[in-house]
Amino acid sequence: MSPPISTRSAIADALAGWPPPVFDPAGPYAGSITTLAWVLLVMSVVVLGVVLVALWLALFGSKRQRARVGGTKAVWTGGIIFPVIVLTLLLVYGLSLTRSLTAPIRGDEMRVRITGEMWWWRVAYLDGEGRATMVDANELHIPTGRPVVLELESSDVIHSFWVPRLSGKLDMIPGRRNLMRIQADRPGVFGGQCAEYCGGPHALMGFVVVAHRPQDFAAMMAARRTRTVALSPQAARGAQLFADAGCAACHRIAGTPANGLAGPDLTHVGSRRSLGAGILPNNRGTMIGWIGDSQAIKPGNRMPRYTVLPGEDLQALAAYLEARK
Amino acid sequence: MPTAHVLLPLLLLVACKPPPDERHHMPQADAARGKAAIERVGCASCHAIPGVRWPQGTIGPSLDGFAERALIAGRLPNRPDVLAAFVRDAPSLAPGTNMPAMPLNEEESRDVAAYLYTLGDR
Amino acid sequence: MTSETGFDPKLYDRFPTREPRPEGELEELERIWHAPTGWARLTVVNNNFIGTWYVGAAFLFFILAGVLALVMRTQLALPLQGILPQETYNQFFTMHGTVMMFLFAVPAVEALGVLLLPQMLAARDLPFPRLSAYAFWAYLVGGLSFFCSLFFGLAPDGGWFMYPPLTSIAYSPGINADFWLLGIGFIEISAIAGAIEIVVGVLRTRAPGMTLDKMPIFAWAMLVFAVMIIIGFPSIILGTLLLELERALNWPFFDPTRGGDALLWQHLFWFFGHPEVYIIFLPAAGLVSMMVAALARTPLVGYQLIVLALLATGFISFGVWSHHMFVTGMPTLSVSFFSAASMAVSVPAGIQVFSWIATVAVGKPRNNTPTLFLLGGLVTFVIGGLTGVMVALVPFDWQAHDSYFIVAHLHYVLIGGMVFPLFAAFYYWAPMMSRRALSERLGKWVFWLMFAGMQVAFLPMHLTGLMGMPRRVYTYLPGRDWEVTNMISTIGAYMIGLGVLLFVIDLARNFRFTAGDEAGNVYGGGTLEWLPTGLYSTRSIPVVKSREPLWDDPKLSDDVEAGRYFLPNSATGHRETLITSPIRAEPEYLQIMPGPSAWPLFAAIFTAGFFLLLTVQAYNPSIASGVLAVLCVLRWLWETDRPVAKAHADVGAGIILPTYATGPRTHGWWAMTVLLVVIGMIFVMAVFSYLYLYGVHPSFWTSPPDAPWLLPIIGGHAAAAGFALLARRLLARERTTLWTPATLVLIAAGFALFAFAIDWWSWRATGLTGATSGQGATVHAFLALQGILTAIVALMALYLAARNARGIVTRPRNNSMDLTVMFIAYTAAQGTLAALLTRLFPGAI
Repeated sequence: MSPPISTRSAIADALAGWPPPVFDPAGPYAGSITTLAWVLLVMSVVVLGVVLVALWLALFGSKRQRARVGGTKAVWTGGIIFPVIVLTLLLVYGLSLTRSLTAPIRGDEMRVRITGEMWWWRVAYLDGEGRATMVDANELHIPTGRPVVLELESSDVIHSFWVPRLSGKLDMIPGRRNLMRIQADRPGVFGGQCAEYCGGPHALMGFVVVAHRPQDFAAMMAARRTRTVALSPQAARGAQLFADAGCAACHRIAGTPANGLAGPDLTHVGSRRSLGAGILPNNRGTMIGWIGDSQAIKPGNRMPRYTVLPGEDLQALAAYLEARK
Repeated sequence: MPTAHVLLPLLLLVACKPPPDERHHMPQADAARGKAAIERVGCASCHAIPGVRWPQGTIGPSLDGFAERALIAGRLPNRPDVLAAFVRDAPSLAPGTNMPAMPLNEEESRDVAAYLYTLGDR
Repeated sequence: MTSETGFDPKLYDRFPTREPRPEGELEELERIWHAPTGWARLTVVNNNFIGTWYVGAAFLFFILAGVLALVMRTQLALPLQGILPQETYNQFFTMHGTVMMFLFAVPAVEALGVLLLPQMLAARDLPFPRLSAYAFWAYLVGGLSFFCSLFFGLAPDGGWFMYPPLTSIAYSPGINADFWLLGIGFIEISAIAGAIEIVVGVLRTRAPGMTLDKMPIFAWAMLVFAVMIIIGFPSIILGTLLLELERALNWPFFDPTRGGDALLWQHLFWFFGHPEVYIIFLPAAGLVSMMVAALARTPLVGYQLIVLALLATGFISFGVWSHHMFVTGMPTLSVSFFSAASMAVSVPAGIQVFSWIATVAVGKPRNNTPTLFLLGGLVTFVIGGLTGVMVALVPFDWQAHDSYFIVAHLHYVLIGGMVFPLFAAFYYWAPMMSRRALSERLGKWVFWLMFAGMQVAFLPMHLTGLMGMPRRVYTYLPGRDWEVTNMISTIGAYMIGLGVLLFVIDLARNFRFTAGDEAGNVYGGGTLEWLPTGLYSTRSIPVVKSREPLWDDPKLSDDVEAGRYFLPNSATGHRETLITSPIRAEPEYLQIMPGPSAWPLFAAIFTAGFFLLLTVQAYNPSIASGVLAVLCVLRWLWETDRPVAKAHADVGAGIILPTYATGPRTHGWWAMTVLLVVIGMIFVMAVFSYLYLYGVHPSFWTSPPDAPWLLPIIGGHAAAAGFALLARRLLARERTTLWTPATLVLIAAGFALFAFAIDWWSWRATGLTGATSGQGATVHAFLALQGILTAIVALMALYLAARNARGIVTRPRNNSMDLTVMFIAYTAAQGTLAALLTRLFPGAI
């Protein structure tokens, strides 16, 4: 057999299911739940063991053992006293953990608004006053080592935001704003996907969080703000097409006339790790395929197919978007 | 658990694909790894590729029966070395093609070619 | 000994009687209770037939929904399979959940109630046989049409929980969602009908002497079940009504841009939806308690504790609904309460589990199929209960919620808590209805396949969930490491499927329905359903002195069959059963029961037609069908509530009981009271919705109509109630003419209509429409409810007038009159409360 090679892209690594994300936390919010999960698992196995032993004794035990299991006293002990003690202990633990995880937000954390859309995620980095300073989609960059507050909203139906290595999940409900804290203590890419059934391609609505060391994060964000895009002739033709073919009606690219708000913001699309909301790797080829016929890739999504565009136009558009880092 | 990625496609291959054609013999390449690379870079977002269930893109031609074709992109001879170079950097071999360069290294492109040669006519 | 009704308990000592019974009595019973044959068989109302068909229909839906599950498991066995396209998969999982919960689980336990309860209580039948028949047919016809929507691609695709706004018209413009609302409409009807039957049946038709503490556990469980339906179902009835109103008339109950709120639906849905789980589980637990005792051949250990556990479960289960909403961002205080309640509800379950284990320890269960299913179900249920405790802890739920962990949890609970006990029940009680018992050899295969399949399918799913796989996904991408566990789950699912297939083969080979020469008490049960029976149930109705009368009195069967107890004959020449008092089960009067009739069947078909045609937007035919349904119901009622020639009859051993009774002790009065509680709960849930929307979006609220409007509204309602009560009083006076009481009821209905019209008009004048805001929508929902009640009042008044005109309203008291008056008074009260609430709150505060 050939030696194992890494067949995973960065995005696949982020979304890998092994080790199970719930048991492989990357930060304190997920981490405390992992501890709870282990405690609960052990509790369940022990209690199941008690029940099975009782059942075994009831069926195959000696006369004395059976007499001990077969009385109202046993029912009181096993069915009332024992569970009440175990449950009370668990409840105290669970409630205190709930309280600490929902402790009031200080207010000086970095804030990001994430809006659930059918079937992608709108991302807006906010300043102290709650104004969007940078808009992106389907990907969130955070610094390691400090909590980030997410304002979770929805613009259509109910979605649920879940990146299990960073935190539990929280619903995005139209007309409401839910606050969630996440924190990564190590750099890395952490994936998740929508957890509340939202119709159609709900199954293909992924998300990635990229955690950078604080200095890398600051540098990256600064670079994004100051970057000037030099376009090759092909990409320049793509920019023209982007306006002419109607892309700009739904997509925004900061610093250009393209100002559509219906679809994902494409200002930084070239730097994303995935296309189609966490489902495809991002390269020239997948970009062409997505633009040309996204319906073949993610059936039911809101982007029409552009199979009428000739190949060189798709090439040019992809070149243009690839340059939008 | 990661072995599943490698094993499962292998099993599928053994089960339903004819052996690679002699002309397309590629001793150093591994079709199973090629398929993994295809899935990793997303070739299927433009091409329907037998063995890759999703996506099945419609922008590029279907690659069904690729091993039986005489030409690549209608103009290049369908040989292992040409194909390996083509999947990696099509524009330099066939200027004007709609196929872009793909993020594959040399070894991976040979693997991809090997996989494509498992796609005989059925 | 004290008495509840004045009945002298010493009279019980006259039984068993010594004298030989006259010839021909048995033949007369057989003739009276005879079931029509041929096509007319469809008109039978005997609980043996209806119950068996009911169970059969529920099992059919179990298989259909199971097949859907197998197709879905095949799709998920590997990533990115193309067996089910996205939209079909979304319909499949919606239908799987909906059919399993609404068309299989609830009807199945209800069906067992219809089938087993009269036998266990030694009643001749349930108190309202035609209602049972109607509920069954409405369920069967409606359920099948609902299921068929799948073949036209019209099946609902919003999940069995149907969360708006996904299911609102903006995101689900097709009629798929309407089909869901239709399907649920049927089950609401049959569930409420069943609950009425069961409450009245359990409390009023028990064999004499069967005091509450001698009642079989299953009867207790069904009583709690029925009460839970009465409290819980109104919430979903109102919810579906609101959702349909929003879809059809654009009333924004769930639309936050106009003062509605998406979470309102979740509260309404889960206030029903979580008790629903216990609605399914408790009757099954009752069956387990019965079977464990019988199979271990020893009385149940901890009978009182189990009864308390049933009651506690029913009570606590109404305080846990929000644990389905831990991830909606509720305040910490509320989630803490619901977390504690969710954990508390596992204590009564623990009591039952240890009581069953204790019973097993005392007795000596043999290695037979029902025992295997019981023990397998017990272990499976315990695992599901433990994962239930896990997800009751809020932080863990934040990870597990809506992942495959929950899929595993709920299947452990429902399969272990309900399906395995149900299969145990099939094997245990089949000999009661069948000429042959089911095969032990096949049965063991069925069990081991299902039990092993269950563990193989669902144990790995816990892991799949913790690996990050969400529920309700039609596929998943490769590279997520979910392939292996999913493949194992699929293999397990097919093992379960194979087990069920073997069971069907067993049924086909061995199940032969009969109502006379059953295989009998194969497992040696000690309760009354194992008395020898015919279609008339037991030949005579025994006096019950213990919980397991057959074990304690070996001669009982023979005495009962020889007619040495109550009602060894037909005392009046009609179908009849004993109505006994609710606590001590002392004989009160003889209820005359209706016989076979085609009208319930037609009523059910037209009811189905009404909903179906409404769904496909054929409004005129739909209305026509609805009118026909109402006429059929009235026609079937027309024959009822008739006094018989013999005002008193000897029910055995010289004990004389009346054959017609009126007032608060009658079964009709009890049934109406139950119905009014249901309607009242619907109203309570509407009040909750109103206050909730105000709490969420007070900025959308505008001022109500001026207070003076209240005068004619409340005056109208008061007049309606007053005239109705006056009519009842005047009926007692011999000197009034025949027409007067009926005229007064008609006048009362007129006032009800007047009050409703003024209420509606006063809101019209403010310019607030149903579509304006959450306030407008809820206010108009109150009006809609009041309108429906008023229409029923009018119908009842006309029906009563017609009966009066034909001279079949008895004096001085009459049940039809009593029930109409009750309904009118209730309508007036609800109308007054709604008018006051919507005008004074929040306006006056």
